[in-house]
Amino acid sequence: MVMSSVGGTRAGTMSPVDRAAHLNRWRHRSLTEKAVLALGMLALAIALPPFPAAPMVAVAMMTAALAGARVPVMVWLACAAGPLGFLLVGALSVIVRIGPGGLGLAPDGLMLAACLMARSMAGVTCLLFLALTTPTTDLIAGMRRLGLPVEIADIALLMYRFVFLLGDTALAMDAAQGARLGHRDSRRRLRSLGILIANLLPRAFERARRMEIGLAARGWNGEMRVLSRRTAISVPGLALVLAAEAAVAVIGVLAS
Amino acid sequence: MHIMEGYLPAEHAAGWFALSAPFVVAGVIRLKRIVAERPHAKMTLAAAGAFTMVLSALKMPSVTGSCSHPTGTGLGAVVFGPSVMAVLGTIVLLFQALLLAHGGLTTLGANVFSMAIVGPWVSWCIWRVAGKLGASIAVSVFLAAALGDVATYVTTSVQLALAYPDPASGFIGAVLKFGGIFAITQIPLAIAEGLLTVVAMNALSGRAGKADEVGILSGEVK
Repeated sequence: MVMSSVGGTRAGTMSPVDRAAHLNRWRHRSLTEKAVLALGMLALAIALPPFPAAPMVAVAMMTAALAGARVPVMVWLACAAGPLGFLLVGALSVIVRIGPGGLGLAPDGLMLAACLMARSMAGVTCLLFLALTTPTTDLIAGMRRLGLPVEIADIALLMYRFVFLLGDTALAMDAAQGARLGHRDSRRRLRSLGILIANLLPRAFERARRMEIGLAARGWNGEMRVLSRRTAISVPGLALVLAAEAAVAVIGVLAS
Repeated sequence: MHIMEGYLPAEHAAGWFALSAPFVVAGVIRLKRIVAERPHAKMTLAAAGAFTMVLSALKMPSVTGSCSHPTGTGLGAVVFGPSVMAVLGTIVLLFQALLLAHGGLTTLGANVFSMAIVGPWVSWCIWRVAGKLGASIAVSVFLAAALGDVATYVTTSVQLALAYPDPASGFIGAVLKFGGIFAITQIPLAIAEGLLTVVAMNALSGRAGKADEVGILSGEVK
C-alpha cells in the first residue's frame, strides 16, 4: 500500500490509455463530436476500398489525436505497436497459400495483404483516437443515452471503478510475491499467479460487499445517480468533422 | 485471442455482431432479473467483471517460455456460469479495447462470439460433463479451462478463415493456415491456463465462505 503512494507512477501502470483520456486537450470537447469523428471515420475505413481511403483516415485520425488532442506521442506509439504482431501474422497468412504442391505465394497475396494492413492500421488510428481522448465513463454515459439498459450501464461503471482498485491490489500482490522469490522460475511463477488469482477473487467480492454496506448506510434504493459534465456541441467543430468525413467518402469512392 | 480493429471486412464484422447479439441479450435479460431481485448483486457482478478484466491483464508464463495473458473465461464460466459471462465478457472486451487498446470496436462482435460465448459455454459444458463422468475436480477444472481456450482459438481461426479463404484450398486451407500459426502460441497458453485455473480453484475452495454469493450469479442457488 505504501508503494502505491510513491511517486504516483504506479497509478498509470494499469492503463496509460485511461490517463491520456483524462489529460488530453480535447478531454472536455463534446462526446458527440469525438464519437462522430472516431466512429464515422472507422465506418469509412472499413466500408470503402482501402486505397486511398484508409491512408486518408489514418492521417486524419493521427493528426486529430496527436496535434489536436495532444496525446503524448510515446503513449500513442506504444498502443499502436500492440496489434502489430497480430497484423504481421495475419498478413503472412494471406500472402501464403496452401496448394497441391505445398506452401506457395498466393496470386494477388501481396496486394491483398497491403489492403488488409492499410485498413487495419486505419481502424487502429480511429480506435486509438477514441480511447485516448475520451474517458470510458463518458462513453458509457453516452451509450446510456442511446438506450443501453440502466442495469448494464451501472454494472459497467462500477466495473470501471473496481478494475483500477483490483489492478492495484494485483500489482501489490505480484510485487510481494516477486520479493519472496515467487517469480524464480516459470513453475513457481504459475503457482504464484494461481495463488494471486485465488486471493484476488475473495477480495473483489469483499470490496463489493463493503461498497454495498456503505451505500446501504446512505439509504441506497438500487439506483445510481451520478453527475456528469456535459459540454455543449460546438457547431463549427461538428461541421468540420462532417466535412472531413464527407471529403474522405467522396475522394475514397471517386479515386479508388 | 483478440482480432484487431479493422481486420474483418464490414459484412463479416456485422455478421458476427448479429450472431453474438441473441446470447448477449439473453444474458442481459437474466442479469436484469438478478438485479431486480437483489439490487446488491450489481456490486457483486461488477466485482466479478472487474476480476475477469484484471485477470486478463496479468502476465502468465507460458510453456514455451514466452509470456502471455490468461483469458479467465474458464474460471469465469465455472464460477459465474456462461450466460452471465456473455454479458460480463462483452463489457470486459469493450474495456480492453478502450483501456488497453486491445481488440477493437468493429471486431467486438467476432471477439465476443469467440471469447465471451463459445469459450465459456465449452468450458462450462466440459466442467459439467467431466463432473458427471466422475473425473476429479482438478481434472475437470483443467479440461474446462484448457479446452475452453482451445475452443476460443479454433473459433477465431474459423472467423479469420471465413474472412480470408485461401485462394487455392479455400476455407479449409485457411483454417489450417491461421490455426497452424496461432497454435504455436495458443496451445501452450491453453495448457498453462488449465494448470493456472487448477491452482486458483484449489486455493479458492479452501475459502468457500462466499459460495452462495457466487452461486446466485450462476443461477445455482435461489
